[in-house]
Amino acid sequence: MKFKCILNGCAPNVKARAEELNSFIGTYLGNAALTGSTILFYANQEDRPALHDLVPTKSVELVRVGGYQPEIILDALKCTEDKEDTFLYLFPSGVVGAELAVRWAFRKNGSSLVHVEQMTLEKGGLMAVKKAYADHVRATFRLDRQPFCISLAKGSVERVPITGRENLQIIEHDLSGLNGDGFVRDTQWIPAEQARDLTGAKLLIVGGRGLETRENIRQLKEMAGAMGAEFGISRPVALNAWEPMHRLIGVSGTIARPEICIAAGISGAAAFYAGIEKSKLIIAINTDPQARIVKAADVAIIDDCMAVMDELTKIFMFDCTEQA
Amino acid sequence: MKILVCFKAAPNVEMLLDEDWVVDKKLLIDTSFVRNDLSAHDESALEMALQLSDASRDLGMHVELNALTVDGPGATPILKTLSALRFATAVRIEPGADFLFQPTAVASIISQYIRLHAPPDVVLFGSQSDIGENAKTPLLTAEMLGWLCITRATRIVPTDEEHMTVTHQVDDGHARETVRVPCVISVGDAPCTYLRKPTLRDRLSYGKKPIAVLAEEDFQLPEETETLMDLEILRHERDAAIIAGESPAAKAKVLYEDYLKPLLSRP
Ligand SMILES: Cc1cc2nc3c(=O)[nH]c(=O)nc-3n(C[C@H](O)[C@H](O)[C@H](O)COP(=O)(O)OP(=O)(O)OC[C@H]3O[C@@H](n4cnc5c(N)ncnc54)[C@H](O)[C@@H]3O)c2cc1C
Ligand SMILES: Nc1ncnc2c1ncn2[C@@H]1O[C@H](COP(=O)(O)O)[C@@H](O)[C@H]1O
Repeated sequence: MKFKCILNGCAPNVKARAEELNSFIGTYLGNAALTGSTILFYANQEDRPALHDLVPTKSVELVRVGGYQPEIILDALKCTEDKEDTFLYLFPSGVVGAELAVRWAFRKNGSSLVHVEQMTLEKGGLMAVKKAYADHVRATFRLDRQPFCISLAKGSVERVPITGRENLQIIEHDLSGLNGDGFVRDTQWIPAEQARDLTGAKLLIVGGRGLETRENIRQLKEMAGAMGAEFGISRPVALNAWEPMHRLIGVSGTIARPEICIAAGISGAAAFYAGIEKSKLIIAINTDPQARIVKAADVAIIDDCMAVMDELTKIFMFDCTEQA
Repeated sequence: MKILVCFKAAPNVEMLLDEDWVVDKKLLIDTSFVRNDLSAHDESALEMALQLSDASRDLGMHVELNALTVDGPGATPILKTLSALRFATAVRIEPGADFLFQPTAVASIISQYIRLHAPPDVVLFGSQSDIGENAKTPLLTAEMLGWLCITRATRIVPTDEEHMTVTHQVDDGHARETVRVPCVISVGDAPCTYLRKPTLRDRLSYGKKPIAVLAEEDFQLPEETETLMDLEILRHERDAAIIAGESPAAKAKVLYEDYLKPLLSRP
């Protein structure tokens, strides 16, 4: 039985996604008598040499396309996969993986599930686990119809570096002529503002709706800067456009793994909490002792978060000058 | 230009207490006693449709807004609000069963509705519903209609009668694309898209319009290809130590000395 990984090499951060897939394969398909290969799309010839390091399987089809557009990728997959009897397609986490998994399954008359955290193969079917009920619940689904197309949930596995690519089997396709039906008249790519990697941050300070104003958020960000901490926000703050979306923490944003996380003025909704639950120490500052975050933290202060953070910054700065 | 927005009301589950989280034999969780809100992304989709209509008017183009939900009578207050916000139609299709985890059925009903009634130029969706979190309905609808699809839009600007410029999230950034209609667009995390409130006068003049209700029996349902097998409630408890103190300064001092300093000073 064959499985295939589908990777979009047009995105700058494809390596992280490839390492996630590598980890997922190792965990859930490692011992099965399966052969896996990868279909890797790319647009720029300059990227071509580095592509080998992105392949989590023993063979790869490198497919050159004009650029990332789902219609183009789906057409390209149709060309390369027409005669294949692949039973499982694995798509990485992220926007593109989720989109392609569902549409490709529909076109292949298979079944799909996105944001998958775990899977098990069963006779004739596949069981897969994902979140539901605004992330309060883990739901298990059975996929009934092959091919099974699943995309991974962000941060569900620890990345595993890809090694030993010397004997990689490579097939090349040039499908840069596909144009996706001319649906898109022009495209402009806007790269994400250089988002800092919060994964290994020592201290992460996150501000929520409890801060109430843009000015308070600005001040909290300044305090974070003074303490050498990374700064994040919850969804309502991002929706108010008080800070750019790339600072969003949670299932829709960054899944952080800092040593210490201070959640200020945040209620601790499950979809947010998923973004900080891997922190070693969670500190909540909230005026409401009943707030969900208070139970889900290691340490809590019941008080106005701006007042506490202001004092904390002063103490921190004082201590730093003392030590210097 | 004619726009249809598909939305799903969702109970605000953040209001449930720990003891309310119980899975019954039919794999359902009773959420009937908490307030129904719009799914987060659907609220953004509805507001973006209104903003698109405002911007088109400034360009001398007319936009007709329509709203559709496949849901029980609990969605009626939202439909009435949409009427008051001058949506031309606000339609509810009464489902025969609970479709929380059946995006194929929902997409099939929506695409049949679109084919039967004068098709819109653009169908707007949220990118995922709050409770089902399937993140599939817009994509499946696009496939069923054979229409093109843009996902996770954060900004839509009208260009002319047949085109619009859509900024949308892709991996590691955004893309801004001018696309032609008809198309399906799902809305992602879009700043400044809290749904506006209708004026009292519009509530009185337009909000009283009866809501059209159709029955699910009028539609054919496809076979589902995924089946829900189990639900497990997640509980996050870390037993927080509460730092007591007379003032914010006193509490901050304990936090710093006892917790932050020892961890931060480690290499
Ligand atoms: C599919 C889906 C995905 C989502 N993804 C995300 C995501 O990635 N990230 C995210 O953040 N949210 C996400 N959400 C939204 C999430 O469910 C919550 O709505 C959101 O996290 C609430 O943000 P908040 O805690 O800042 O605001 P609120 O829930 O309004 O909480 C504000 C808190 O501040 C406290 N407070 C008020 N005043 C003060 C004060 N002066 N000092 C201290 N505390 C004070 C209050 O007691 C309250 O607890 C998602 C939702 C869905 C359905
Ligand atoms: N029952 C429904 N009626 C109308 N629209 C729906 C329904 N369920 C989902 N949708 C739309 O499809 C989007 C994605 O939902 P889902 O695939 O369930 O995550 C939602 O944000 C809504 O816009």
